[in-house]
Amino acid sequence: MNAELLSSEAPAVEEQFDDPTQQREAATLGMWLFLATEILFFGVLFASYTVCRVLYSEGFAEASRRTDMLLGSIETAVLLVSSSLIALGVRAVRMNERRLAALLFAGTSALGISFLVMHGFEYHHEYEEHLIPGIDFAQSGANAHAIELFFCLYYFITGFHSLHVFIGVVIIGVLAVRVARGAFGPRHHTTLELAALYWHLVDIVWIFVYPAIYLIGRAG
Amino acid sequence: MSEQGSQSSAATKEDKAEPPVTPLSHFLWILAALLALLALSAGTALIKLGTWNTVLNLGIALIKALLVIAVFMHETEARKLTRLTSALGFIWLAMLIGLALFDFLTRTAVPSPWK
Repeated sequence: MNAELLSSEAPAVEEQFDDPTQQREAATLGMWLFLATEILFFGVLFASYTVCRVLYSEGFAEASRRTDMLLGSIETAVLLVSSSLIALGVRAVRMNERRLAALLFAGTSALGISFLVMHGFEYHHEYEEHLIPGIDFAQSGANAHAIELFFCLYYFITGFHSLHVFIGVVIIGVLAVRVARGAFGPRHHTTLELAALYWHLVDIVWIFVYPAIYLIGRAG
Repeated sequence: MSEQGSQSSAATKEDKAEPPVTPLSHFLWILAALLALLALSAGTALIKLGTWNTVLNLGIALIKALLVIAVFMHETEARKLTRLTSALGFIWLAMLIGLALFDFLTRTAVPSPWK
């Protein structure tokens, strides 16, 4: 009963805001500021990647051929679908379809988990191939040093990305439960919008990881 | 009476401020486009195109990212300040990578005279 009341009403406006619109826009703006720091967090890794790839283009192509392109492509598809699911989830909340919304949020979280599992398989495979610099790295040949650099960047980029996916999975999982309990409604969904923004950014980071890690040096 | 009138006008203003719900077909079309672009980038990566492989990989990733930002993240509906802020992160990143490349791509090895 109480939850019903909550979801049908607009959220309480904090005293520093004039109205709910201003409050919502301020929250979105704040989220984008946070996302800008996230872009730069991953940006440093991408900048190092770019410089190393310019310096060791052949070695990077050879190293990229050692990654699993099929799994990488499936992982990309999984994240793209999950991004649309959460966008549809926020839409469902705004249209007051609570059950559907809870399912869509839970589905997003589940796809995130499947992404992490697939990545686990990849890491395991690379461990067996002796491709983990500092722990078990046994490669020889002219490009061994470049391959080592590539895999260092690979673990930093995909590792931090997976950490972000894990955080997203937890947050979105919790939100799915709260949506099912009726904590949100057509006029009270800012928290969901912000979680969706975070998830979309995690997706965007992967959109650039995919060609950078899996697709170079595949032809010929 | 007048108080009631002002209340209702405030309510309609609020409703207007809430952006309209995006039609379902929009999201589905974008998802289809994203998956098609994924297939395209995987396919072209297997064809030997030289430098064009890199250009295509990066170009397709940029288009995918823009689709996500514009539609899923509602940037086309956002107000200017939010759009500017969201662009900032990417602009800083472009400066970071651009300036780093200016350095590394324009370096020429100058051997020391005693070697």
